[in-house]
Amino acid sequence: MSNRLWTEEAVRLHEMFVAGKVSCEEIVQDHLEHLAAVDPGIGAFLHVAADQALAQAKEADRWSTEERQMRPLSGVPIAVKDNIVTQRMPTTAASRMLEKFYAPYNATVVEKLYAAGGILMGKTNLDEFAMGSSTEHSAFHPTRNPWQRDRVPGGSSGGSAAAVAAGMVPIALGSDTGGSIRQPAAYCGIVGMKPTYGRVSRYGLIAFASSLDQIGPMARTVRDAALLYHVIEGPDARDATSLPLTASPPTRSGPWRIGVPREYFQEGIDPRVGDVIDRYLRRLSDAGHEIRDLSLPHTRYAVATYYLIAPAEASSNLARYDGVRYGFRCDARDLVSLYERTRDEGFGPEVKRRILLGTHALSSGYYDAYYLTAQKVRTLIRQDFDAAFNAVDFVVAPTTPDVAFRFGERDDDPLKMYLGDIYTVTANLAGLPAISLPAGWVDGLPVGVQWMARPLFDNALLDAAQAAEALMPPFQFPQEVRE
Amino acid sequence: MSEAFDVIIGLEVHVELKTASKLFCCCSTAFGAPPNSQTCPVCLGLPGVLPVPNSEAIRLAVRSALALNCQVRPFSKFDRKQYFYPDLPKAYQISQYDQPLAEFGWVTIHPSGEEAKRVGIRRIHLEEDAGKLNHLGQRLGDAVGSLVDLNRAGVPLIEIVSEPDMRSAEEARLYLTELRAVLSYLDVSDLRMEEGSLRCDANVSLRPHGYQGSLEELPRVEIKNVNSIRNVQRGIEYEVVRQADMLKRGERIVRETRGFDDSTGRTYSQRSKEEAHDYRYFPEPDLPPLRLSPEWIEAQRTALPLLPDAIRRDLRSRGIPDKDVEVLVLDREAYEYWKDAAQAFSDDRLIVNWMLSDVSRLIHLRGETFATATVRPAQLVELLKLIQEGTLSGRMAKDVLEAMFETGQDAQALVKQKGLSQITDEEALMQVVNQVLETHRHVVADYLSGKEKALAYLVGQVMKLTRGQAKPDLVNRLIKEAISGSQAVSS
Amino acid sequence: MGLTDHEIQHVARLARLRLTADELPVIRRDLNRVLEYVSQLQTLDLANVEPTMHVVKSETPLRHDQVEPSLPVLEATRNAAQVEEGMFKVPRIMDSEGGGAGE
Repeated sequence: MSNRLWTEEAVRLHEMFVAGKVSCEEIVQDHLEHLAAVDPGIGAFLHVAADQALAQAKEADRWSTEERQMRPLSGVPIAVKDNIVTQRMPTTAASRMLEKFYAPYNATVVEKLYAAGGILMGKTNLDEFAMGSSTEHSAFHPTRNPWQRDRVPGGSSGGSAAAVAAGMVPIALGSDTGGSIRQPAAYCGIVGMKPTYGRVSRYGLIAFASSLDQIGPMARTVRDAALLYHVIEGPDARDATSLPLTASPPTRSGPWRIGVPREYFQEGIDPRVGDVIDRYLRRLSDAGHEIRDLSLPHTRYAVATYYLIAPAEASSNLARYDGVRYGFRCDARDLVSLYERTRDEGFGPEVKRRILLGTHALSSGYYDAYYLTAQKVRTLIRQDFDAAFNAVDFVVAPTTPDVAFRFGERDDDPLKMYLGDIYTVTANLAGLPAISLPAGWVDGLPVGVQWMARPLFDNALLDAAQAAEALMPPFQFPQEVRE
Repeated sequence: MSEAFDVIIGLEVHVELKTASKLFCCCSTAFGAPPNSQTCPVCLGLPGVLPVPNSEAIRLAVRSALALNCQVRPFSKFDRKQYFYPDLPKAYQISQYDQPLAEFGWVTIHPSGEEAKRVGIRRIHLEEDAGKLNHLGQRLGDAVGSLVDLNRAGVPLIEIVSEPDMRSAEEARLYLTELRAVLSYLDVSDLRMEEGSLRCDANVSLRPHGYQGSLEELPRVEIKNVNSIRNVQRGIEYEVVRQADMLKRGERIVRETRGFDDSTGRTYSQRSKEEAHDYRYFPEPDLPPLRLSPEWIEAQRTALPLLPDAIRRDLRSRGIPDKDVEVLVLDREAYEYWKDAAQAFSDDRLIVNWMLSDVSRLIHLRGETFATATVRPAQLVELLKLIQEGTLSGRMAKDVLEAMFETGQDAQALVKQKGLSQITDEEALMQVVNQVLETHRHVVADYLSGKEKALAYLVGQVMKLTRGQAKPDLVNRLIKEAISGSQAVSS
Repeated sequence: MGLTDHEIQHVARLARLRLTADELPVIRRDLNRVLEYVSQLQTLDLANVEPTMHVVKSETPLRHDQVEPSLPVLEATRNAAQVEEGMFKVPRIMDSEGGGAGE
């Protein structure tokens, strides 16, 4: 069994390590070997911290059983999306702008991972500054979908999703601004959760859209996702938007009232995906849950709303990259040229497109029509969910309207790419927790289903997701990574 | 002014708040540290950082707002003000835009010879300071480059925006002086213009008589970052003349930002507002709104100290002349000194007289202030008591005070040590009197012939011989008695 | 009524991005497509709708006024391309490029 450690769940690895059945070094070594074998064909990682991981493992092996037990992630290798700041590894956000940046601090979640005994294996690829849905927009290299290598893994947390799906790590951190955890989880056939806005500290997450960004867990099983989530959640004195600890709302063990929003099955959905979700809902119904049709009428405005708010905030958050204090710098004889040349050469085209869009949306004379209007529509979208959750316990819908697409397929038209986010952006706009779970297959490609709960009901969502997971066949690795 | 226009002045004052740490991070705010030694990921604007507001900055801002008669909003929010400049690490300043901390206040000024006047305060908001640029070269224009020090970036500021209620440079000076006085009693800021903890921008426009439009539409010139109250006044005076000349010549005044040149007393164009920034304000997503409970705001109001207008009333009621009252009120350290002394001494005016003449002269000479004066209020009181009970003459007391400053010793000790005390022994004094009368017989004759001035001369001679230790009124009496006595004998 | 090249250049200047003549047509096409798409929001009646500025939390926490150690200067300036006397160096600033420091 020791030579197949990389196939194990995080929860199992931890148990085996605590029980002394396997050393942390063996676990890490096995994952590193597997990673070295499969990642060249996938490109999930931007940086592999092999030496640090082994050093951490050796230290963990000196811990007593009690110490191992106290640390919920002891014995568990973890990957971190490269827009989460790490002091001992580079942090690039997959941008040329930060290619040589070393942060003098750790993100709060990274501190929590270390404190929980987790082994940081390295940093995973993403669309530059998390702007994209395919990981094609990384300044360094694309990441391939482990299921079909000519297809994207989704994005922007495509590196983390591919790494988990291919067994390079059992769990990974992603970040989700408009679906960046859930969509790649769906495309790679794994579990990905976006917690309630404020549940996980954003301190050290390189900001894309501050009012939407949230860090969350990615894993092959719900219980692994829950393990990671419980390590990273909680208030942080460094993040004024992080939520205070509140008693977890009581979880009903079911049966649940499950709302299915009809707007998520209309224009644009691949009918084969619709069929998979229908079959999934039938399983839920067969298991005794009540399936209710419901309406979230403002869903059709969600993408427009999102593509005003997110670029507006991004244009502001990315203004600090000016070549003065850190990051890429293109020298020039005067300040304005320094700024313009640095930003012109340091940012990729998609980032620039969004900065321009966002700058326009906030500029004099346009603020009310664009940014303010979008924030008002956001209220309507939130109210849709408030009303829905008065009638149902969870909302269940497809995560994406399609399955993983081929490289370059959506390059020509950004709007087409943006419309793919239609089912995921609503949870960010409304701040509520959502999790994508494997729901079936279309032509050998995974289809994801998304469960959403009311804000703060993260635990209830995880419990429900775990129960629902039991209705589906267990995770199988893609043929190509099984060796 | 008999010109065909009114002068319209509004001031924007930035005050650095006296907190230990910065507004949104835990770096020290201490002045004068080596460049960039008080920076951290947050105030450097590194990727991934977030702001968390400092409660003390909020308290000091609210305290200022209440003292300036503002309404403090129970709900205010933070906004990002965006522009690129090397002293602004995030390329946005966290400020407050449309829902500031406080609004609708005023400051009362007292122009001489006129009635007191209220200058409105439109708003007070909290924001973070920018860093400091050190230009390599003479001025910005011909500098080859600049060096950025971010120690000051993130220090809490309040911006106090007045209504355009001032009508002369003198009123602007009075407003600033009064504003500074009010803030000084609150302990909210160091208020040092030379260190940048108090900064002022002045908006100056001229309104032709008969102008019907709004003040906002008048072409307005902003004089930026002037480093003393005196220079704000000079800058405005210059600007009024400059604009008036332009109007007379029929030229159009352009809306622009101007700097002030200390050495020439002139303002010069920096940039025209036509190319003004588009700051793209929007609500700071990293900071939920600031909510202050009415109870907490009231508690801050209750905790306000005595403020200048109340102090003025108190001092006047004690018979202190208006001119002296102003000097004390506008210098908080002097007022505190007076207050400490007045607690132990009943003659309020005598304290003021000594403070504003001899004590003031000596501390200036020695580079001290009333707060740091070698002679503490209790020591001054001791000296004044020696005068009051007749041990020391006023002249002697001046010498003693100087010695007190030099040695740091108490008045009593110095008097004893130097054998200084007024001669009150009549017999001892009589000998000196007789000696003087003997040597100045012709003066005595003058006196007897009716020249009153001669008496003063004789008194002076006695004082000289006793090195000032005699009590003048006693000497006066003794001389008169001696002369009339000898006259009786000779006749 | 999409954005003109002139307007796009204005926005680019605000964002301190330099657009070349080749980039401009593509950017204009992309931006105008997105702007046309988002214009559907204008059809909604939002007169009585409050904007959602903060989705879950409605009050900022405050921290105590406590000083903590800053970064060593070398660490603070470590990532900078040009440092002189412990300070970040920038090239010459044109007059028109006035800062808004403390405005």
